[in-house]
Amino acid sequence: MFFVTYLRRELRRRMRQAAFIALGLALGVGLVVTVVAASAGVKKAQSAVLQGLYGVGTDMTVTGAAPGPPKPGSAPPSGAQTFQVSPAGAELCSNGKCHNAAGQTVDHLGSQYSPISASSVAEVAKLHGVAAAAGGLALNDTQITIPSDFGKPGSPLPQPNSLTVDGADTGHSPLGPLSSGTITSGHSFTAAESDSDVAVVDSGYAKANKLKVGSTVTIDKVKFTVIGIVSQPQSGSPPDVYIPLARAQAMGSEPGGSLKGKVNTIYVTAASASDIPAVQKEISKLLPGDTVTTASSLASQVTGSLSSTAKLANDLGKWLSVSVLIAAFAVASLLTMAAVSRRAREFGTLKALGWRSRRIVAQVMGESVAVGVIGGALGVGLGLAGAALITKIASKLSATVPTATGLHFESVGPGGSQSSSPTADHTLLVPMHASVTPGVIAAAVVLAVAGGVLAGTFASWRIGRLRPAAALARVE
Amino acid sequence: MYKLTGVNKIYRKGRRTVPAVRDLDLVIEDGEWLAVQGRTGHGKTTVLQLLGGLDRPTSGIVEFDGQDLARLREAQVTRLRAVSIGFIFQTFNLVPTLSAAENVEAALIPLGTGLAERRRRVAAALESVGLGDRARHLPSELSGGQQQRVAIARALVKEPKVLLADEPTGNLDEGTRDEIIDLLGQLWRELGVTLVLVTHDSSLARRAQRVGVMNKGRLAIRQDARRAAGPQAAPAPAPGPG
Repeated sequence: MFFVTYLRRELRRRMRQAAFIALGLALGVGLVVTVVAASAGVKKAQSAVLQGLYGVGTDMTVTGAAPGPPKPGSAPPSGAQTFQVSPAGAELCSNGKCHNAAGQTVDHLGSQYSPISASSVAEVAKLHGVAAAAGGLALNDTQITIPSDFGKPGSPLPQPNSLTVDGADTGHSPLGPLSSGTITSGHSFTAAESDSDVAVVDSGYAKANKLKVGSTVTIDKVKFTVIGIVSQPQSGSPPDVYIPLARAQAMGSEPGGSLKGKVNTIYVTAASASDIPAVQKEISKLLPGDTVTTASSLASQVTGSLSSTAKLANDLGKWLSVSVLIAAFAVASLLTMAAVSRRAREFGTLKALGWRSRRIVAQVMGESVAVGVIGGALGVGLGLAGAALITKIASKLSATVPTATGLHFESVGPGGSQSSSPTADHTLLVPMHASVTPGVIAAAVVLAVAGGVLAGTFASWRIGRLRPAAALARVE
Repeated sequence: MYKLTGVNKIYRKGRRTVPAVRDLDLVIEDGEWLAVQGRTGHGKTTVLQLLGGLDRPTSGIVEFDGQDLARLREAQVTRLRAVSIGFIFQTFNLVPTLSAAENVEAALIPLGTGLAERRRRVAAALESVGLGDRARHLPSELSGGQQQRVAIARALVKEPKVLLADEPTGNLDEGTRDEIIDLLGQLWRELGVTLVLVTHDSSLARRAQRVGVMNKGRLAIRQDARRAAGPQAAPAPAPGPG
């Protein structure tokens, strides 16, 4: 009772200083809360992106290596189409035969990744720790119109008009590219439609192109009937069109030939989360040339403001909040020490009255902790405001996921040849909600109280050691 | 009550040593009123601090009720102060944020006295110094004399054996000083406490049974009226050094 009365009166007397210390702690704690909330929001957005890329239930994907650019001067693979630019103009060549490409439109359904034998899907499914595996074929239907002045100095490279097509295994609908989506209209594939020219269209693509169930969509000059519209998570990077895997295999091509009996993505579900690293190793051993991607490795490939915000929150935010927190702790400690030094006579008097040092230390600590609690409460308020501000400012973060088109350009000129592999980047908007959990609030209060305890410890340590006569003599 | 034998107190300031008390031998009896006079810097306050266990001697024995304060642990000395010794300071030393009653109550906190008992004793102590109606006032709302009365109530509320007063009238005007002198004399007579008083004030020292003078750290007893008066009788006036 007396302790509380004394504490309350002291805080009221030193209200300005207490408020200053509390505000300092609040600033540090608020910044920590904001940064943690932003990090949590970014992580949530990342996982939403990854879930959209992966599909629900997918723990990892196996993809063939992204096709690299051909070596300058090397012969193109059999059946591959290449563009050559020479002083005579742009030429489209296939199997050694070339014709003028200027003004022509080329349609190419190519694999985004190097193909993997379809039998590998079954082999992966048999691995220890694998619950299920399904194959998929991620393709790009790329239309390129070659400008009539292509190849002349200053002329730009033709820009591909790309449509992403996923071949989905109709026998494994719970796993694969369609697993995270919701059919909003029509229906998904049935096993009977594995060889049909039917398509499920992403809702965004359908809206942009005014497609509905019963419409047709043309892929590599083949018309597909839309049987369903699928809505993928907002943060996902869905393909535009899904077609049966068998049709994708039949229609798609790679530089070496057709994609029949091949996939380029294997969706894998591990038996448990703890199995993921071991399964990843096993698959790498089984398919050494291919890429096994888990959620964490995929996250590093995502660029855009999502990536920048993640870096900002993790690097700058972390260090900024740590710096402000240290500064706040230091200021709180110095001010508390100064305040306690000014009260040396008061504490000397209390010692003369028979107060033990530990009781005086407890009184000082109590005052510091109370300031810390006030600072913590203010800090939580500031943190919540900061989180709300971040949510408002960065309500939509962009995540850019690169996908290969499967095309290669080779320009031959007097200075030698130059090659390029255009990629079609998918940019998606991810909602960001900087969320403050009860755990973060509790941690913030603990942090502020720790700041108060630290400040009180320094101050009370000095006064606790002071002999009563010395304390009384300090100001007398 | 007190027996000081060969007490020396030397302060060190860098390489320099300053002897504050030299070869002090002194016996203070139960219920005695001793006044210590002397010029500033001659060791009066140091003697009071040694008696109150606020400081320890460099050498010698400070015996209080048979216990050498220099040999007791800090916690034991603190306990002794809490139970047996009351202090009165020149500048009152009241906690500015606490009311008169709370300042008095602060002296009972180390004793672990219950709330009801604390309130009863605080009210009685304030009543005894004539401040029963000022219990809720802050020190800043009281005059100097009233603040010193609160300080006296704080020193007496725990019913100590000894009262150590350091220039209790030093910060008061003449009229208030007389009130405080009368109050201290009255309390000494009524309560039978041992009173050791450091003062420049000859009129106050004159009312003590014994008057000692500190000169360069050495104490010389100038007046001893113990045979003429005791705690139950008004002390005879004693001439001070001026």
